[in-house]
Amino acid sequence: MTDPRPVREGVAAWPAALLPRDAVVALAVLVFCAVAYWLTTGFDEAPSAMAQNIQPSTFPQLVITVMAVLAGVIFVQSFAAPQKTLARVPPLVPVSAGVMVAFVTAFQTLGIIPAMVLMCLGLPALWGERRWGLVIAFAVLFPAAIYGLFAGLLDVYFEPGPLIPW
Amino acid sequence: MDAFLSALGLFLDPMLLVAVLAGTVGGVLVGALPGLSSTMATALLLPFTLGMEPGMAIALLSALYCSGTYGGSITAILVNAPGAPAAAATAFDGYPLAQKGRAGKALGIAAVASAIGGMFSVVVLIVAAPLLSRVAYDFGPPEYFALALFGLSMLASISSDAPVKNLLGGAFGVLLATVGMDMTTGVERFTFGMWELSEGVHFIPVMIGLFAGAEFLTQAQTLDRVTVHAALDAVRLPTREDFRKCMGTIARSCGIGSFVGVLPAEGGTVAAMIGYNEARRWARDKSEFGHGDIRGIAGPESANNAATGAAMVPTLALGIPGSATTAVILGALLAHGLRPGPHLFTETPTLLYVIFTAMLFANVVFLGFGLVGAKLFSRITLIPTTFLWPAVIILAAIGAYALEQSILDVWIMVVAGILGFVLKRYGFSAAPIIMGLILGEMVESTFKQSMIIFDHSWAGFLDRPIVLVFVALTVLSIASPFVSKAWHRRRERENPA
Repeated sequence: MTDPRPVREGVAAWPAALLPRDAVVALAVLVFCAVAYWLTTGFDEAPSAMAQNIQPSTFPQLVITVMAVLAGVIFVQSFAAPQKTLARVPPLVPVSAGVMVAFVTAFQTLGIIPAMVLMCLGLPALWGERRWGLVIAFAVLFPAAIYGLFAGLLDVYFEPGPLIPW
Repeated sequence: MDAFLSALGLFLDPMLLVAVLAGTVGGVLVGALPGLSSTMATALLLPFTLGMEPGMAIALLSALYCSGTYGGSITAILVNAPGAPAAAATAFDGYPLAQKGRAGKALGIAAVASAIGGMFSVVVLIVAAPLLSRVAYDFGPPEYFALALFGLSMLASISSDAPVKNLLGGAFGVLLATVGMDMTTGVERFTFGMWELSEGVHFIPVMIGLFAGAEFLTQAQTLDRVTVHAALDAVRLPTREDFRKCMGTIARSCGIGSFVGVLPAEGGTVAAMIGYNEARRWARDKSEFGHGDIRGIAGPESANNAATGAAMVPTLALGIPGSATTAVILGALLAHGLRPGPHLFTETPTLLYVIFTAMLFANVVFLGFGLVGAKLFSRITLIPTTFLWPAVIILAAIGAYALEQSILDVWIMVVAGILGFVLKRYGFSAAPIIMGLILGEMVESTFKQSMIIFDHSWAGFLDRPIVLVFVALTVLSIASPFVSKAWHRRRERENPA
């Protein structure tokens, strides 16, 4: 998919035209590495005899250092490689992510059955499904089948939630 | 022989037969659905197999792996939308052939080539895995550390476009594996005071999120895409003339797939691309490639299925996944308390023969289903996205929850899904993160043990010949994408088109 925004000749379509996109990604990784490294300095120290001179922070710090080096390589490479234009993310994507979060919140607060029913009603409608008969049938049959299969057959325990008294 | 006969005896248990059959059919269905892959299906199914007997669980997942790799070819041929990444190359010639009204022939070739490749790879697995596991008797912590690093370094070559990003993803996965209580000292790391994280981040919710959650958000981007189905005539067996034309390609691709599959982290996708390229390169008449040459279907399909059994070789013998799906199967082995390596072969040989038999069975069964039921399987693509993906996300959430009945795992799944979408957008793959997460514990524990053995001197690694071999292979695998790119650029400069 191509970015529909017009591109002036000689000017990168990427908004931060001073830095290539991968350079910004590399900087973000470096910031993550810095924060992660700082967190490792707060780990408790174990007695030398128990730790055998390899403290709990040693290995994570080693891995974070490797990550920082690799981010540095990406930063340098980003200036050499042409940057592909990324299409804009449609609003439906963050909204769908929000629906995922809402589903898990409903799972936690209302219980699995209401959460599934709301998901089976809401998401198809959000994604443009207008065959309401099918949507309602899906919202009834699919949660029932899933609950029957997992709670009934596979013995997965679900918290009943405030709406389901049994 | 006794173990083999015991395994055959177990197959008289109808429950085991049903499980393997269900895995085979499920694999073809899932493989046929664009956006869902056998990796995702095994990840979704894994939590629900934890209550099964280990043999039944691994047999089901292995059968799903074999048939899912084939299933991707159905939609690759009919709608030019590969159901699995490993089927991408099949679409190059499969869809044009289908557009010429010969979809049945294309599917028939795909089914037969896949089955031959798959059965060949199971033979490779039966022969090579025990041999490789005996080599592992000489492995100590330094060798396992070097091997795990080699496995992680192979991530660089999964995608030649982003080798450094793959390595970074693998390192991030290893870092994620350090979350929780350090087993040696009892110190909590990256838990932020949450006791639920003291046992670490389980790889299953992360895997489900990175694959299924990220794909769910990707599907939200493409809802307006209309898929055009090619008409399907009856599926036909390849004729004698077709066999004569494809035999060399299938034989070559079986070898390619088996070699690539044995290499850590490579798997069917890489094997299929190489299989297609070699089929084209060795053809005397290349004019039909890209326009419906049956060798362009046979090549990638036999290669990607030949990689399935071969990818199980390092997984079972060494505990290093040969592909993303075998990384999941490795996770299943570990979750069932089985440790891959030589002891698996000496202490539980019957289990291994159950896995081998299940994979052989799956290859035969999907051949039959593919020839008889391809038309039926292709109808799976008619399920509207608006119903399919809510169902997948609900299953993903329940799968993550069912692991330890913990809502935290569901939240981890959601966060991993959103992170996976963002990472994918910026050129990072999910598979390296999962590989790193699964191998992370092994990397850390063998590193610590090696440091103790060598009295904290890195030079100790250089005294071990097997370690030196793995170090050389690691350097080679990290350098190869860059060398290959530089070589291609030089060729283009010398021979401009």
